[in-house]
Amino acid sequence: MTEGASSQRGARLGEWLFLYGLSILAALVLSALLVESTGGAWRSVVSALIDGSLRKPARWGETLGTAAPILLVAVGTIVSGRAGLINIGQEGQLLVGAAFATYFGFLIGGPGPFNVVVILFFGVVGGALWAGVAALLKFWRNVPEVLSTLLLVTVGGQLVAYGLSQSWLLLAPLADRGNRNQVSSQLADDNRLPRPEIFGNEISFAVILAVVAAVLVSILLSRTVWGFRLRMLGRNPRAAQRSGVAQTRYGATALMLSGGFAGLAGAAMLAGGGFAFGNYQLVPGFATNIGWTGLLVALVAREKALVAIPVAFIFACLRTGSSFVGATGVEGRITDVIQGFLVLALLVPPAVMFLRDRRRSRAAATDRA
Amino acid sequence: MQSSADGLTGAGSLVESAPAVDIRGITERFGPVTACDGVDLTLRRGRIHGILGENGAGKSTLMKMLIGLVLPDEGSICIDGVPQQIHSPLAAASLGIGMVHQHFSLVDALTVWENVALGEAGRLNPASIRNRIGEIADHYGLIIDPDARVGNLTAGLRQRVEIIKCLRRDPSILIFDEPTSVLTPEESVQLFSSLRQVVTEEGRAVVLVSHKLDEVLHATDDISIMRQGKVVDRLLAGDTDAPTLARGMVGRDVSLRSESAALGVLVIDEDGAKALDSNASPDAVPAVSSPPILTIDRATLRGPGGTPVLDDFSLELHPGEIVGVAGVEGNGQRELGDLLSSLVSLNSGSVAIEGTRVPDGRSGAMAKAGIGVIPEDRHDSGIVLDMTLAENLILVDQSRVSTGGVINQVELDDFAREMISQFGIHCSGPDAPMWSLSGGNQQRVVLARELAQHPKVLVAAQPTRGLDVGAIEYMGDRLKSAAADGVAVLLISSELEEILDLSHRIVVMHAGRIVGGMDRANVSLESLGLMMGGVAQ
Repeated sequence: MTEGASSQRGARLGEWLFLYGLSILAALVLSALLVESTGGAWRSVVSALIDGSLRKPARWGETLGTAAPILLVAVGTIVSGRAGLINIGQEGQLLVGAAFATYFGFLIGGPGPFNVVVILFFGVVGGALWAGVAALLKFWRNVPEVLSTLLLVTVGGQLVAYGLSQSWLLLAPLADRGNRNQVSSQLADDNRLPRPEIFGNEISFAVILAVVAAVLVSILLSRTVWGFRLRMLGRNPRAAQRSGVAQTRYGATALMLSGGFAGLAGAAMLAGGGFAFGNYQLVPGFATNIGWTGLLVALVAREKALVAIPVAFIFACLRTGSSFVGATGVEGRITDVIQGFLVLALLVPPAVMFLRDRRRSRAAATDRA
Repeated sequence: MQSSADGLTGAGSLVESAPAVDIRGITERFGPVTACDGVDLTLRRGRIHGILGENGAGKSTLMKMLIGLVLPDEGSICIDGVPQQIHSPLAAASLGIGMVHQHFSLVDALTVWENVALGEAGRLNPASIRNRIGEIADHYGLIIDPDARVGNLTAGLRQRVEIIKCLRRDPSILIFDEPTSVLTPEESVQLFSSLRQVVTEEGRAVVLVSHKLDEVLHATDDISIMRQGKVVDRLLAGDTDAPTLARGMVGRDVSLRSESAALGVLVIDEDGAKALDSNASPDAVPAVSSPPILTIDRATLRGPGGTPVLDDFSLELHPGEIVGVAGVEGNGQRELGDLLSSLVSLNSGSVAIEGTRVPDGRSGAMAKAGIGVIPEDRHDSGIVLDMTLAENLILVDQSRVSTGGVINQVELDDFAREMISQFGIHCSGPDAPMWSLSGGNQQRVVLARELAQHPKVLVAAQPTRGLDVGAIEYMGDRLKSAAADGVAVLLISSELEEILDLSHRIVVMHAGRIVGGMDRANVSLESLGLMMGGVAQ
């Protein structure tokens, strides 16, 4: 029996590798055709992708720094996904988290390392509160969270933009912003996350934070009673209700945790800096799709926090790598399409496997009937 | 339609003409499972053909092929001697085949005539539809008000609407799938007498699919018994008896009482006392003088439309007794189960265990107070299909396998193994996904989990639905031994035989309230039947 199970697992792994290989190959072939047909050279594009993400000096540090908030968002998404809740508003939760971090960071303004913790903490609070609005609407008024979280992205964007226009909220004093509008002050040097240098790459401390978070959440979900109950709620809410897992309490907690992680990602982007995330200050468009990317990563990782680690890295590679593709003379829009192809290639195998598994379990169910 | 022409000729000549339906060598496979295996079946006009078999014997699949829901892998179907490919229900309808399904497909918010008109092409003509309903009603004694709202009708009347829907198209071949599962005994008798009329006076061919021996024995002319996808026996109803049918259906002699109850042979004739010999009633009736362990006091629960689904419902349960809640389905049984599973909050009234009130609708409160539940639909609130067997054993209580909020995988596996052997669960191991288990084994997992909690009260709602005979017998034994250990068992079932077999005391539910009750020892089937129909005693 155990042998059967392990050989079955081996076969499954083989299937996965095959599917991924096939779909990525298809994406590469399509991308190559697209590049060649628009007058580019696909070899130089691939080379630029690798240069930008890994090969050139300081680039893999940059890629890791990009992967960190993506991973944090993904980990949060996995928590709410386990509870059967579809949070798709990470982009907004991240931005609100960053705004809270900025506001309270300057408001409290304690001594260096302490204030870093304050900044991260209020990032979590901001994201959790923003997701909490959706939780409140869901459990008080039955508004589907998939709608409310998404719509709150826009609301959050507008609110933060307003905050950035008011000097009593987020807008930097005139002296700090020169002639720029809608920017916050820069975090002081000692209010930033450390960026130790390894082999000539600056690594944001956020990377460690994100990996630790992924490992912790993975353990929490798979080993603890709380994780078990969350999973029960996600898979069968009525069985959960009967067994003492109140949807209001566990569901709201999961949704707010999910937002909290997105908010933490925002705070980490703010305090982590690096080329990707600007200059330790809040600006309009600060979230730069990190929330959406994290959501995609959670989808591709199929709700497994540990799997999300490499997936987040791959998505970060695509992001940092594609910034180099422009130099090959290939148009930016073409790069976007290529990135889209590759993301699709990563999303297709889980979808195929999901559909196949469901068909199998359906068939098994009809057999029994 | 030619059927009516056939109907005018005498029954004798009908046997000579081509059979209404002639099925030859039909085979249907679903993956590795062969649902129908080389089935031959002949239906003749003017006769009622009973198809008897356990759940999963292939009866429904066979009928689905006749009405075009499933295409056969092999074999042929001839209708009135002409080979036909029945690709869709529409094709079946054009061939004059109609089916009354086990589960109704009616729209509650619409009236009777509107439901009958559903699915008609072209312009609606309410007057002519009402007329047609009146004609059918007069002709077959299926009296119904065409303007009544279906949502307000009893199950028996709803089925009447289904039958009228079917007869309106004037089918020459009529299929009834488990028609009595929602009917009171009286309503069943009425149904069969109108069936008889349809058959003898109009020469239609009728198929009655059932797993109840008694019903098939009394209402049909020809009987085919199906077992594991094959027709294992063909009999004339007049030449056979219940034990023969039971043997054919199960494949061996049926000796145990609970088995016979499961097959519906316990209540053979209207004079119920005959079947209830002295050793039939469960022994050692517990003393009811002890204080009640479960008290439901004037529980009222309103449905979405404001009509009460539980209406001033009061019931007391004492340790060690099995109380059977009889009644036609849809009279509040499901809500009673939901109430005791913390799935609904009452509008008024209360539930108490040993005199202490249990807050209704608060997540987990009922389970914590000691109420175990085998739910009516285990997939709804009983199990989580996407979790493993072991995990399903700790849904209610994780404390036995965890310390400091962390689940100990080794302890969990040990506990699961223990339960697997103790309850005879067939599975590939503790890690088997729940969906990979058969229905009977899933039910055993539920039973194991609930009994491992050492409940004070065990609610068993339709506990044997969809199970095979062996599993039914096992469930009955377990319920009895739980009661013997002092658990108060509340058996909610629409199978009267099951209730009569297991209960010490019987109460009857109708329209959300208890309309009467009696001890098992002095049961009167007649008054039970009346109460099920809503006549308070």
